[in-house]
Amino acid sequence: MTAQDKILYVANKLGLTSLKDMQASTGAVYDVDTDHSGQIFSSASRHQNPSLTNLTQNQFEVNEALLVESIAFYNLDNEDGNQLGNIQNVYGSQAVIVFDLIIGNKRTMKSTPVFGSGTPFTFATSGIKNLAPAATSQINPRNQIFLEGAGILIPPQVQWYVEYQIFNMVTGAVIPTNELARNIGCYLFGTRVLLNFNTSI
Amino acid sequence: MSQINKLAYVDNKLGAPSQGQQTTRILFNTITAPGTTSGLIFFKTFQGLTNGQTNLVQNKLDASESMIIKTIMLMQYNTEGTLQTFGGQEQQTLSIIVGNQQVVKNLPIQFNQGGVGQSFDRLHSNAAVGTGGVATFERQTEFPCEIRLLTDIVIPPQVSFEVRVDSNNAVYGTGAVVCALSGYGKIFSAGNTF
Repeated sequence: MTAQDKILYVANKLGLTSLKDMQASTGAVYDVDTDHSGQIFSSASRHQNPSLTNLTQNQFEVNEALLVESIAFYNLDNEDGNQLGNIQNVYGSQAVIVFDLIIGNKRTMKSTPVFGSGTPFTFATSGIKNLAPAATSQINPRNQIFLEGAGILIPPQVQWYVEYQIFNMVTGAVIPTNELARNIGCYLFGTRVLLNFNTSI
Repeated sequence: MSQINKLAYVDNKLGAPSQGQQTTRILFNTITAPGTTSGLIFFKTFQGLTNGQTNLVQNKLDASESMIIKTIMLMQYNTEGTLQTFGGQEQQTLSIIVGNQQVVKNLPIQFNQGGVGQSFDRLHSNAAVGTGGVATFERQTEFPCEIRLLTDIVIPPQVSFEVRVDSNNAVYGTGAVVCALSGYGKIFSAGNTF
């Protein structure tokens, strides 16, 4: 099943008859948890655009959608101009983010781990940070998931958010996120459907 | 046959429900302070583990849930949380048992981890990359061990499973070892049932 097939299948099930006439594209949405509430995207409407998010609310407009094919986590240094950082560099290799993706009132990804030391199926292109001298170089693992099989469609005008917690896998303890001047962020990447007026206007 | 078709085929053969939310599942289980041993069994013990050490409460999926095992990942951490080479690059084999059937048998794992450079597939061609220097929990110098299976293995609903790693007294240390199984799956979806 291709991404387009999946979008049309779900649109048909939901009775979204005009989605097939819209503009297919590629897109990503991102946001950060500035409140350390354990939720990402639910407070996007309060966040500055584009330094913290590229959304105005955590739902798409009429006839817009996103088939999520990849989910990644990062952190933002909120004391240093919201610079992007790697989860492993801050929370360590033993950290694990356990998250749910909730669309509407449905949990579509369940207790899914994103390991600090890298997540399955991400190692072909892991970032290697080359510093001088070589002895200080390091690997920046991908704290990311590529969805297997078909992606997950976020339909138009339905709210979504990511719920997460960070744990230490060695001790099992929860790692507090509010002790550092950093916020956990997340992006959802995939095939996008954009509103296309065709000849309407 | 894609992962979607394989799961639908096996669920149909077993009479398992085909309805459910399609998703990507990653199951993981941790063994703390494994020490030096000839055998590790993952997804066997859940007692005392937190949600950050496993995302199951028993060694089987819930009713109406099933998944494909496409990727196996193994990680070893010391007590500080620094990623280490799994089993110290000793020769080790991995087996997966689903129900009373061995579905992966004595698969060697050491080729797909740091320093060896002989990974099974091109996907892990940089598995041998090491950056040198001293690793810390915030500074990772190697990759975990991961194997991408060529055949999709199904874990059906409510069937017990486990992952065994055999060696000749490999050193796993006093921190923790983690096994993760990843692939396409289905989770329970009530729909309009409730």
